[in-house]
Amino acid sequence: MKIKITAAILLSMLFTVSCTNLNEDLYDKVEDGNFGNTPKEIDALVGGAYSSLRGFADGISNNYPTCEYVFFLNEVVSDEATIPTRGTNWYDGGQYQDAQKHTWKPDNRMILSAWRYNYTGIAKINAIIYQIDKSSLTTQAKTPIYAELKALRAYYYYNLLDMFGNVPIVTNFEDLDLPSNSTRKQVYDFVEKELLDAIPHLNSNVVYSKLTKNVAYSILARLYLNSEAFIGTPRWQDCLSMCQKVTGYTLTPDFFANFATENQTSTEIIFAIPYDSKAGTVGNYMSSMSCHYLHKLTLSPTGNYPWSANGMCAQPGVYSAFADTDKRKKCMLAGDQINLATGSVIIMDNGEPLTYTENLTSLGDAKENEGVRLGKYEMKAGENWERDHDFVLIRYAEILMMQAECYVRLGSPELARPFLQQITARAGEEMPATIDLHFIDQELLKEFTFEGRRRTDNIRFGTFFLPWWEKGATDKTRAIFPIPSSVLTTNKNLNQNPGYPVN
Amino acid sequence: MNSKNKKGVLHLMWTTKSAVLMIFMLFLSAGAFAQGKKQVSGTVYDNTGSVLPGASVIEVGTKNGTTTDFDGKFTLQVAVGGAIEVSFIGSTTQKVQITATTANVDVRLQNDGYALAEVQVVSVGYGKVKKSDLTGAISTVGADDLVKGTISSTEQVLQGKVAGLNIIRPSGDPAAGATLRLRGGTSLTASNSPLIVVDGIAGVDINVVQPSDIKSIDVLKDASATAIYGSRGANGVIMITTKSGTKGVSVVYSGLSSTGYVADNLDLLSANQWRGHVRQTGNTDAVDYGGNTNWQKAIEQTAISQSHTLSINSGKADSGFRTSISYLNNEGVIKKSGLERISGNVSAYQYLGDNKDVKFDMGLFANIDKWNPIDYRIFERAYNLNPTIPVYDANGNFSSVSGNIYENPVEILTNRTVDNERHRLLGYFKTEVKFLKDFTASANISLEHNAVKGATYKPSYAVMEGRTEDGYAQRTYAEYTNAQGEIFVNYNKTLDKHTIGALAGYSYFENMYEGFGAQRSGFVTDAFGYNNLGAGYNYRLGDVYSYKGKSNLVSFFARANYSYDGKYLLTATVRRDGSSRFGENNKWGTFPSASAAWKISGEEFMDSSKGWLDNLKLRVGYGVTGNQDGIGEYKSLSILGVGNDSYYDPVTKTWSLAYSPKQNPNPDLKWESTQQINIGVDFGLFNRITGSFEWYSKTTKDLLYTYEVPQPPYLVGTMLANVGEMSNRGVELTLNANIIKGNKFTWDANLTLGHNIQKIEKLSNPTYKTDVIYSGSLHGLAGMSGQYSQVIAEGYPVGTFWGFQSAGLDADGKMLYYNAGGETVAESALVDADKKDLGNVQPDLTLGIGMNFTYGNFDLGISGYGMFGQKALNATNMMLNDPNRLPAFNVPDDFLSSGITSAPKYSSYWIEDASFFRLQSLSVGYTLPLKYKGSKLRIYLMGENLAVFTSYKGVDPEIGLNAQDGADQTGLAAPGIDRYNNYPRPTTISVGLNFTLNN
Repeated sequence: MKIKITAAILLSMLFTVSCTNLNEDLYDKVEDGNFGNTPKEIDALVGGAYSSLRGFADGISNNYPTCEYVFFLNEVVSDEATIPTRGTNWYDGGQYQDAQKHTWKPDNRMILSAWRYNYTGIAKINAIIYQIDKSSLTTQAKTPIYAELKALRAYYYYNLLDMFGNVPIVTNFEDLDLPSNSTRKQVYDFVEKELLDAIPHLNSNVVYSKLTKNVAYSILARLYLNSEAFIGTPRWQDCLSMCQKVTGYTLTPDFFANFATENQTSTEIIFAIPYDSKAGTVGNYMSSMSCHYLHKLTLSPTGNYPWSANGMCAQPGVYSAFADTDKRKKCMLAGDQINLATGSVIIMDNGEPLTYTENLTSLGDAKENEGVRLGKYEMKAGENWERDHDFVLIRYAEILMMQAECYVRLGSPELARPFLQQITARAGEEMPATIDLHFIDQELLKEFTFEGRRRTDNIRFGTFFLPWWEKGATDKTRAIFPIPSSVLTTNKNLNQNPGYPVN
Repeated sequence: MNSKNKKGVLHLMWTTKSAVLMIFMLFLSAGAFAQGKKQVSGTVYDNTGSVLPGASVIEVGTKNGTTTDFDGKFTLQVAVGGAIEVSFIGSTTQKVQITATTANVDVRLQNDGYALAEVQVVSVGYGKVKKSDLTGAISTVGADDLVKGTISSTEQVLQGKVAGLNIIRPSGDPAAGATLRLRGGTSLTASNSPLIVVDGIAGVDINVVQPSDIKSIDVLKDASATAIYGSRGANGVIMITTKSGTKGVSVVYSGLSSTGYVADNLDLLSANQWRGHVRQTGNTDAVDYGGNTNWQKAIEQTAISQSHTLSINSGKADSGFRTSISYLNNEGVIKKSGLERISGNVSAYQYLGDNKDVKFDMGLFANIDKWNPIDYRIFERAYNLNPTIPVYDANGNFSSVSGNIYENPVEILTNRTVDNERHRLLGYFKTEVKFLKDFTASANISLEHNAVKGATYKPSYAVMEGRTEDGYAQRTYAEYTNAQGEIFVNYNKTLDKHTIGALAGYSYFENMYEGFGAQRSGFVTDAFGYNNLGAGYNYRLGDVYSYKGKSNLVSFFARANYSYDGKYLLTATVRRDGSSRFGENNKWGTFPSASAAWKISGEEFMDSSKGWLDNLKLRVGYGVTGNQDGIGEYKSLSILGVGNDSYYDPVTKTWSLAYSPKQNPNPDLKWESTQQINIGVDFGLFNRITGSFEWYSKTTKDLLYTYEVPQPPYLVGTMLANVGEMSNRGVELTLNANIIKGNKFTWDANLTLGHNIQKIEKLSNPTYKTDVIYSGSLHGLAGMSGQYSQVIAEGYPVGTFWGFQSAGLDADGKMLYYNAGGETVAESALVDADKKDLGNVQPDLTLGIGMNFTYGNFDLGISGYGMFGQKALNATNMMLNDPNRLPAFNVPDDFLSSGITSAPKYSSYWIEDASFFRLQSLSVGYTLPLKYKGSKLRIYLMGENLAVFTSYKGVDPEIGLNAQDGADQTGLAAPGIDRYNNYPRPTTISVGLNFTLNN
């Protein structure tokens, strides 16, 4: 009997210790309602809006779209860069060849990733605004935070306006209804209004990497500069007046100071995405995507430099567009690549010398060594695949160039001269007797080579629609990209952009 | 054998002989006293030659009888000219004529397959049921039938043994486990592994139990059987019963020593073939490094493995204990790989009370694994490297030729240190109390602990990463603890022909996991290895981490059985599971089942067939089960976390961590739910053949997948959600036959066959729209970034290859294709619409076959398994047959004769039939009967993986179920792709010894 009692006690003990509570206990995460109550927590929230500029990796894109897609996409559809297929490598379903030939389809992964990059940034900002809403801050304290977040969101919408045109506008985190397209004009107006509304509450000082008044003025200047291309209404004068509001910056005497590993000290950079591999940042490896596998031997005799992927290079004609005296020409790597260990030219696996040539056999079958490479950002021995230099989005040279272009377009090319002189003087170039749009176009190419903005310039100058290397004439509808096919599949409220098939 | 040992054996033989002689003389003298009747003595053995206590010995036609004692001995007065009948439950009865000269009768009883099977007790979850009373589809494998050999992962013991259960071992790496798939699997992303239940403790790591400690395994297959495990039952349940103290005392030693070598390599160019080709083509750029290296052989070794197990068993009428200890060291056929394990097990039970009213039962299992994970990237390099590159250069250093994916694989193996260690522990304490005559209350508590320690060092002279990182060291630790408490009450009552059973219970399961790790690079000296992380001067944010999480599962369950006259059987079960992982709107799920069986052979109208039909039973069952493995913790919540989200503060010029929303919260998240109907027939024929046939149809709803969701409005582009629907239908046949059961010669055979058809029924619902999911990623293969080889689409099974149909090569070696219209076109003319279904990875038939022969003291066993009708993408071959490879990269011999001039492109050309049959094992043994109380010694020779019959051109046709880059082997998403990372399978020859000492 005693035994039975013991057993009964054991049984009942089990009942008392157990329960039916199914709440999840969190140990290394925090639920969204429990955050945003101290200034430090607010900083950590707003910081997340900036970190999204670096992009992300997930199962769909596999990669970090900042560099690989938004950047690649805008470059490889322009007259500046190309990703040729080299033997087996870089075919990847033809997505890069399609980009070069302007025959991209809605299922092109680069296009999907560019879309997702921007909308992920937007959704994240919407989520942060929602967190701030719920926080215990006063309305007064919230105002400048909202302004900063909304201006940053407007930057993403500017990208979408530029690349996709008729995109849905979503500003409320809690609204999960499937949105439909806004017209390009509506998106244009939204970007303009959001920036103008935010400006009074933004920081007036020069603050590196933050969305300040100066950054908002610069984005608006870009918007007005491309206004004719975007919505058919030129606004050159508005562009000029925005440029004139940008203050506190000067050109760095050395062009390459903007692309050095420690470029955060540049007096020229208005807006940049900070990177530091030690801080765990990822997605910044453009040079590595461009150079040959053995390029490391030009930087370190022991090859103490990461593997490079031998992908993107300049299109034929870009390198020779630079005068040899142009200091900026070094932004591309050309010619024999010297092995630091031997002092002679590097020999590739196939026994041939590694000499970067300007010309390529063809887009579909380029040799390993063909094409000049991107060498704008500093590369040095001992580096990681992930770089430490910051990725430059807007620098003061662009403000100068925009003003010069507007004066030329407004019929006063001589007024452009003082702006252009600063640019050419630094490059060691002569100014021409007469300034025309062609000169401006060429100067934009040389000043901003591989900075991810060439497509927009090509469209504004109309060259985008003309044949060039490995590409025929382009239909006007391709001034914007199609809405990615998988986005259309999952959201039936969206319509495809004109001229593109649904899938 | 040296002379000392020889003498020992002779001595043993002499002792045995003299003992027999003495016993014989004793019986002779005893016979002299009998008049008319005579005293007969003897020993009864079972079919394995062990003494059999408790067998009944009866003089035919009388009530005169006795039973054998603990040593299997009996003595009985029998009339001369009469006969005795020796019988034991589960064995065929034997008659022995007694003549005047009969004195000593030794009887060896043979198993009666059917009878034995029917009295077997089968674990069904929270109780046991006689096999004859089952209503669900359950396969049972006894210890004798488990796969033996050089086993380092316990699930291997079931390979080919259970119809419908596929065990895929994609690699010959001793440290790699196998993947289990029952009836085609049910989940795209979640684990498809059956729930493992050890001695009633659910949800444990199968490797906590060593094969030598297993008494029997019951595999619960259909929903009516598994619904008692509710939200964890959809992929079947494997119930392992471990050995416990049986009556008597025995000490058993088993030892095995084996030699393994790589069964097959790819035929790549040798250095001389390479030189011949270079000379022939006049390639002046080709660099000859002067060596002569077979890079595949250079990373391989002959694997010497051994295992030893020692167990002690002791049992009395009301108590018993068993303890075992084992050691195994399985070397891999790739240098540095292997697995070393030491394990121990103690179990004991004690009854208390006059009527055995209370039972206490406890068990403790523990083991430690040590292994050195190797970098699987060596295989691609071994295929790539030019065969003229020597392994070592003139100075004795590893030769290093720079190139893309071109590092010296021997160097990679040699210069990096990875020491991993895993500790497993399972302990349980169970109490069973009988009360109110028909009730039994049980309370179980258990704890399972699993911890992995990792330590890595890549010195600064190591070519892969090490050099650029200036040395890299990492330490990691991860553990989980499962605590479980269960109480349940069983009621059993028999009234006339009615038998009623009922069960009700409650279970609480808690999983707590945590871990931490640290890494650093930049070491001034390589002297410390991974032992001094602080010495690394270079560290990054994220180099130190820790995590912790918890989930729990609360369940109520009940079962009722009713049977009438042993002929009509009904079972109904229900389980209600609540899981913390489920979304707020779906915290609780209910999983019911019902089944019925009709023992047709028990009916009077079947009397005429009694002569040949021993058993015929029809079973029908239906149930709903779930799979909750696909939902990690916290997936339903809106969560802020830190991760890669650092941001730069320009004022302080420092980096800080941002907190960002991590996922799209899904409050509707719930288990995948599988409805299954099963119809089965069990039969026994001619007292020799038993078997069962099953037909099933199951539909899995609310399939979890990380679906693409529209952005905007969603936060991130993907979201874990319950959307799709998948079906599996199939048939299974299990046959066991005692073909010959003579006194001296026996021949047993078993056969399992399975056939399954899988189909995705739906991928969209009103919220989530998906036309097709691209899977089978080829990302990471040259020129195939972001490319996929398979689709998951409505109407097709998972693992359907989707691509262009090859039309072979043209005269110039260019690949040609068929377009949608059936015309032959060049690659440039292909459009997406030309892509089509190129077959799938689902086998049409899976087969397991085994045979055992005994002749006197010799035994012979042979077993094999196969899969037929499945396709595989030989991506290894696709990438190696690349005209851009030579001369720097090696190619297969076949490439030179193939004439291929097109760069690799995924198409049907590279999809092969991967049907195979593997001769898994062949063993020959000899049992030396030692007359000391039934003790015995068996020595055997065994070969494993002796032959594979296949037309597949790769190294091995048994390809992993998920070859996606870096993905684990759990989901179904990317099966059947052979891409470089083939750890070759060994062929193994072993010598073994089993020594059983009874007292």
